[in-house]
Amino acid sequence: MAHRSDFLTVRGIRTHLLKGGRGRPLLVLHPEFGANMWAPYHDALAAHFQVVAPDHLGFGESERPDWLDGIDDLVFHYVDLLDLLDIDRVSIVGTSLGGWIAAAFAVAHPERVDRLVLAAPAGIKVDGIPRYDLFANPLETTLQRLFHDPARAAQILPAEYGAEVIVRGYHEYTTLARLTWNPYFYDPKLQQRLPRLRQPTLLVWGEQDAVLPPPHADAFAALLPRATLHMLPACGHLVPFERSEAFTTLAIDFLTA
Amino acid sequence: MQFYYFHLMPWPFLPRDFDRAYDSAWVTLPNRLYDPKRGHRLYNEYLDELEHAERIGFDGLCVNEHHQNAYGTMPSPNLMAAALVRRTSRAKLAVLGNAIGLREHPLRVAEEIAMLDVMSGGRIISGFVRGIGCEHLSLGVNPTYSRERFYEAHDLILRAWTEPGPFTFEGKHYRVRYANIWPRPLQQPHPPVWLPSQGSPETIAFGARHRYPFVSVFTPYANTKRLLNEYKEEAERLGYRAAPEQLGFAVATYVAPTDAQARREAKPHLLWLFRRGLKIPPHFLAPPGYLSEDTLRRFLLAGVKPPSELSFEELEREGYVLVGSPRTVRDRLVDIRKDLGIGVFVGGGRIGDMPHDKALRSAEMLAREVMPHFRRRPGVRTAARDRTTRSRR
Repeated sequence: MAHRSDFLTVRGIRTHLLKGGRGRPLLVLHPEFGANMWAPYHDALAAHFQVVAPDHLGFGESERPDWLDGIDDLVFHYVDLLDLLDIDRVSIVGTSLGGWIAAAFAVAHPERVDRLVLAAPAGIKVDGIPRYDLFANPLETTLQRLFHDPARAAQILPAEYGAEVIVRGYHEYTTLARLTWNPYFYDPKLQQRLPRLRQPTLLVWGEQDAVLPPPHADAFAALLPRATLHMLPACGHLVPFERSEAFTTLAIDFLTA
Repeated sequence: MQFYYFHLMPWPFLPRDFDRAYDSAWVTLPNRLYDPKRGHRLYNEYLDELEHAERIGFDGLCVNEHHQNAYGTMPSPNLMAAALVRRTSRAKLAVLGNAIGLREHPLRVAEEIAMLDVMSGGRIISGFVRGIGCEHLSLGVNPTYSRERFYEAHDLILRAWTEPGPFTFEGKHYRVRYANIWPRPLQQPHPPVWLPSQGSPETIAFGARHRYPFVSVFTPYANTKRLLNEYKEEAERLGYRAAPEQLGFAVATYVAPTDAQARREAKPHLLWLFRRGLKIPPHFLAPPGYLSEDTLRRFLLAGVKPPSELSFEELEREGYVLVGSPRTVRDRLVDIRKDLGIGVFVGGGRIGDMPHDKALRSAEMLAREVMPHFRRRPGVRTAARDRTTRSRR
C-alpha cells in the first residue's frame, strides 16, 4: 500500500506524519520505538482506512519544543493536528506509549473520538507488579524484552549504526524520559479518569508481555466501562509489530463493526 | 599553588567475585554488601586522614557527594564537612560539591553551607555539581532536567546568600515565596563557589562567566588541558584573564620513596578506583538527556576507551593518575603548573582499597617533600631551579 510522508506546522511546531489509504480517518500512534516507520500493520490498516501516523513530538522527524514535558502536551498537539487536517472525529490505534496518549486524548476530548484500539497501553501502574525499567537496562536487553520472539526485534532497528544514529536514538530516548521518567510510565490522574471513557475500546495484550506484564491488561480493562480485552498468545509487548496479522484482523473487525 | 587533600570515602570491601558477579558499583550494587560495623571504623579512619592532612600542611580538605555506590560513601558531604569543622582550625573545607540539582530543595543547601561557614569561621568552599548520571536513577530525578535544575538551583542559592530576605523565587523547578535563610554565610558576599567537573562546554562557559574556579576531575591530562584552555579563552572573550586560583586540577596521586615503589604500591588501589569503583555501564553513566547531544557526539567521534578498560601503564600515560617519587611528582607538577597555569591542585587522598597507613605515608611525603617547593614565602627561596615560581614572585 502506497504511503507518503508529510510535514505540517502545528502551532509553529514542525510535525512529521506518514499517510496512506482512503476512507474514514484513523489516527495511529506509535510506541516508544518505531517512529517514522510504515510497518506491515500500517499497510493492513490502510487497506480499510485513511491512516494518519504522526511522529510524536521529539520522535522521528518531528521537532521537540522546549515546553514538551507531559502526555497532556501531546494530547493538545493532536487536537491541533486533527483541526489542521480538518478531521472532526477519529478512531485511534495506539501502542504502549501511543496507547497511553490515545487513552488520555479520549478522556480529555471524548467528542473527537469514535473508537479506541489500545495495544498494551502504558499509563497505569498495578501495585505489586514489577515493570521492566528500560532506562536502567542496555538497549540490547530491552529489545529482547519487547518481543516474545527476539528475532522480531530486527524490524525496529536502524539498518546501520553510526555516531549520528546513536545521537538520534539518544534524542528520542531523551524525549521518552522527559515524558515518562517519573512517575515511570504512568499518570495517577489517568488511572483516576479512565472510568469516564465511554468509547468502545479494544484492548489487545501479548500473553508474554515482559514490559507491562498481563496483570496490567486486566487492570486496564477493569478501569474501562466498555472495553473488550483480547490476549494474544506468542506475543510480547510490541503487539502490532510482533503479531501484525492477528492484531490488524482484530482491529479491523472491531473498527468496522 | 594551593594543595587540597581529596577524599572519596570508598567502600573497599567488595566481595571476591565482584568483577564477575556485578556489572556495576552503582545503582544496583546491593546495599547488603555494606557492613555498618566495618563502616563505623572506616568512616573514622577516613575522617582521621582528613584531619591529619590539615596537620601536615594541606591548604584544604575536600569532601564530595555521591549516592548509593561503592565508589564514594558520602551521600551528604555537608555532614562530613560538619564533622571536620570542629576538629580542624586552619584548613579550608571544600565541599566538591553539593549535587544541587539532585536535591529536593536547593535552599537546604544554601542553609547548610551558611551554617558550615558560620561554624567554621568562614573556611567553606562551596562546590556545585549536577550529580552523575547514575544518581538520577538512584534518586528518581529526571535526567533530562539535570542542567536546568542545576542552573536554577544555583541562582536560588546565590540569591539566598546575597539578597536581603525575605524574597520570592519562582522558577520552573523551585518556588519559594519567603526565601530568608538563617544563618547567612559569614564570608561576604558569599563562600567561594567552585565547579568540579569533567567539563561540558556549557559548564565551562557558565564557570568563566561567574569567575568560579573550575576544577578538572579524573579526566585524561589532554582533556584537562583542553578544558582549562577553553575556560581561559572564554574568560578572555569576557574581557578578563583567568587567574591561577580559578584553574584547578584533581588527580589521583600517590608518592613513595622511589618511582618503582610508588608504582608497585599504588597500582592495585588505582586499578580498584577505575575498574571497580568506577565500574558503570553506559546506560547508568549517560541516562537519556543527561548528556547534551553535542557532548555525546563528541564522545562517540573521539572513540576514547573508558578508564575502566585501561591498564595501569595507560592510566599513567594518559595522565589519569600521578604516581612516583617525591622528585618525579614535584617535577611533573612543575611542568603541569607551567603547562596549565593552575593555582589549585587537588589530590593526595586515600585511593580505592588502599590501607590507612599507606595513605598516611603518601600524604606525608607529598606534604613534606613536594608541597614546600610550591609555597611562596617572602624572602625564602624554596627552590631556585623552579623558574616558574621565581618569575611569579
